[in-house]
Amino acid sequence: MADSQGNDAQNGQPKGQYSGPRAIDPVEEHSHDDDPDFITRTRFLSGVAVAGGAVLTAAILVPIVGFAVSDSVKNPPDRWVDIGPMSNFPDGQTTSIAVSGLSQISDARAFVRNKGGQLIAIWNRCAHLGCPVEYFKGGDNYVCPCHGGAYDSLGLVVGGPPPRPLDRFNVKVVNTTGQAVGGVGSVHGSWSTAVVGPTDHLLIGSAFSINQNQQAYGLHDPGEPVTGVLSHLYPFS
Amino acid sequence: MSTTDIGPKGSATQAGEAVVNFVDDRTAATTGIGWFLKRNIPGETSWFQTLGFAAMAVFGLQAVTGIVLAMYYKPDPTTAYGSIRHITDDVTWGWLVRGMHKWGASAMIILVFLHMARVFIFGSYKYPRELTWVTGALLLIMVMFMGLTGYLLVWDQKAYWATVVAMNITASAPIIGPYIADILRGGTTFNSDSLSRFYAIHMLVIPGGIATFIGLHLFLVSKLGISEPPWSKRSTRARRAEEAAARAAARQRGPRGRHEVTVDPEPQTLTAEAGQ
Repeated sequence: MADSQGNDAQNGQPKGQYSGPRAIDPVEEHSHDDDPDFITRTRFLSGVAVAGGAVLTAAILVPIVGFAVSDSVKNPPDRWVDIGPMSNFPDGQTTSIAVSGLSQISDARAFVRNKGGQLIAIWNRCAHLGCPVEYFKGGDNYVCPCHGGAYDSLGLVVGGPPPRPLDRFNVKVVNTTGQAVGGVGSVHGSWSTAVVGPTDHLLIGSAFSINQNQQAYGLHDPGEPVTGVLSHLYPFS
Repeated sequence: MSTTDIGPKGSATQAGEAVVNFVDDRTAATTGIGWFLKRNIPGETSWFQTLGFAAMAVFGLQAVTGIVLAMYYKPDPTTAYGSIRHITDDVTWGWLVRGMHKWGASAMIILVFLHMARVFIFGSYKYPRELTWVTGALLLIMVMFMGLTGYLLVWDQKAYWATVVAMNITASAPIIGPYIADILRGGTTFNSDSLSRFYAIHMLVIPGGIATFIGLHLFLVSKLGISEPPWSKRSTRARRAEEAAARAAARQRGPRGRHEVTVDPEPQTLTAEAGQ
């Protein structure tokens, strides 16, 4: 504003010449332009415009983003799928069967292993990067065509890049009236077949991951180890 | 130029000038076009500096062929592959347009990388063109995303499983990887919504982003001008002249920055220093 050494720009009065009364006293302006704490009308209205614009933009963007994203990150609901009578899965064999309608999972194939009085349903999704593994009857093992992951009869890793064994489905055996039968096996997701008859139906449900000792963990995406340091990279799995 | 200015202008010429002037008075379009196209460029500009335009031209090709392919393609798991077969086998020149789009995609990736290599080797990313490089890097990411999302649309076994693997690689990124993969494929596993989601990303989301960033990229190129190659004879001459001038100035100056050589007032100091 006014320079203390030179002329007062607002009054047009040279300093030090005349200091007596004047015909017209200069009106002191009440300008708050240089006061950063004072909210002028302009600043208030600008703030209202910005805030209002933000609210309107959010009112448009929130539904759009929620619509595009929220169902994608939700886990699909569990569902039991009837995959046929137990006579389709003879004792001592591993039977491959395509499963449709199991939540959102497409192209899922289960290898139902009925051996040693235990039922295990192994998901064909390779634990490395999700390619479909193939079952070889001769060696009783699983091999992934993409990057050479190899698994033994129980789906445990014996070679290649997979960070954990093959995932499994929960299994349930029901009789003709829909009542669950069969005992609990020693491994989560497997059942003892001691009391299961050939007309009882086999159901498979949600999938879960295991470690090399066949301890159950929540279902992980391919590429995620369930044990060790690197398992902490995926805290929300 | 000079010969055509002689004599009265034809009515067609006058009408054309009137239209141009009408638009130009209201938009200053000729000024903007002149600013964009009639720039000074280094004398040693070569074919290497045309790679960026080549990539942009192929983007135009991809946009046009993609638009007409979308008129026949059906992004649904049960019909997608059949519609691809229909385009290739039945529609007139469908094999050609699909081939242009498919090979154009490879050509675009190659041109984009050659363009990036040119900028890197010429050092053109240096001041003041850092933001041009940054927008170009974002364009590279979007172009790669176009490759990823377009690859799935063929919907054959190779496309399907390659994309499944690519999504699982995405999901294996720490902490946020699983969420990014879920959002991209529209679920925790690959599902019937994934194809239409990739289709929307491929033909609506990313092309808009690429067009926007090409605009920014070109604005920066136009504003900053293009750089000389590092082996430019002109810049080498200029640098040598500067160095020669600096050496000449240094010879003119006396010791300790003085401009005139004067007699040292204390010669004994030098002697004492020399004696130590």
